[in-house]
Amino acid sequence: MNASTQRSGLKQGILDGLPLLGGYIPVAISFGVIAVQAGFSTLEATLISVFIYAGASQFLLVAMVASGSPLWLAVCMTLLVNVRHVVYAPNLALHLTQSRAWPWLMHGLTDQIFALAHTRLPSMEESKKVDWFKGVSMVAWLSWVLGTALGGIAGDSLTQKWPVLDSVMPFALPALFLVLLAPKFANKVWSITLLVTMASALFIALSTFKNAAIPLAALTGALTFYLLTTRFDRKQSHAN
Amino acid sequence: MQTDIWIAIVIAAIGTYGLRVGPLLWTQRHINKHKANNTEAHLPTWLSVLGPLMIAAMLGASLIPKTPSLSSWLASAVGILVTTLVWRKFKTLGLPVFCGVLSFGLVFAAISIF
Repeated sequence: MNASTQRSGLKQGILDGLPLLGGYIPVAISFGVIAVQAGFSTLEATLISVFIYAGASQFLLVAMVASGSPLWLAVCMTLLVNVRHVVYAPNLALHLTQSRAWPWLMHGLTDQIFALAHTRLPSMEESKKVDWFKGVSMVAWLSWVLGTALGGIAGDSLTQKWPVLDSVMPFALPALFLVLLAPKFANKVWSITLLVTMASALFIALSTFKNAAIPLAALTGALTFYLLTTRFDRKQSHAN
Repeated sequence: MQTDIWIAIVIAAIGTYGLRVGPLLWTQRHINKHKANNTEAHLPTWLSVLGPLMIAAMLGASLIPKTPSLSSWLASAVGILVTTLVWRKFKTLGLPVFCGVLSFGLVFAAISIF
């Protein structure tokens, strides 16, 4: 692998990761603020972001610890929220190279990195894949860690000074997910399935089961896909 | 901070990493076994279907504005429309996201002012 190939893979990864900043930084700042309010120091909050690096579950863990919940329960709930990650790596595995770096890089496999990798890796040159993943995941991880530190140090005053940071920038995440899914809408079965999944996630997230929205909506989508493909296959066999 | 809280955080960190890396190692072993036997490795259909569905679920859940109001929902609708139109025209990643956020911000600000 020559140097220019390495550079371009890394550079492409960094560029692809930039839209994530709009979503990561405001949420990371919020986490820093909440962790400090819950009694953690800025350093402790930052270390949680460095090592756990999983948005929703970090908020849950900090809230449960602060409210005096049993620690074993806080850990179990954290892992339960993160259990959706088990389907990410197998979905990428066929597109990964034989590099020994992949298991280490999995620390950076967040929801958003999975969404990007799932779309980008299949059409990428083999030689660029590891560097691309390093680039995109470093952008995301650093923004999460630095955002947490910033939130711990000056979060409240930052969001008061620039309210746009808190209310507008997070729209980058749904916009990014939409762009990643857009090619799938060319197929009728996929279009219906994806719309059902999105609507389910939206309604579940608006209800009291917010943390279960993603896995439950994905299961609803899987059921829809199964029903539609079965119906489609039956129609085709009748036509033949 | 107390030692027991740190132990809980370390267990949560190791567990989260395990949830990310464990399935990768298992799948890679499955693929390598097929390679050794000169057969093609196939993942279960449900697993490959679940990938795009997880992204769609994340999209649905992330559509909820931080402070839901008529202006933020309207801004979200405009943002989604603009993102889709720009993607259809340019088929790139960054530009549609940028235009989507910009249009969301403009609509949000305009409604807040008026």
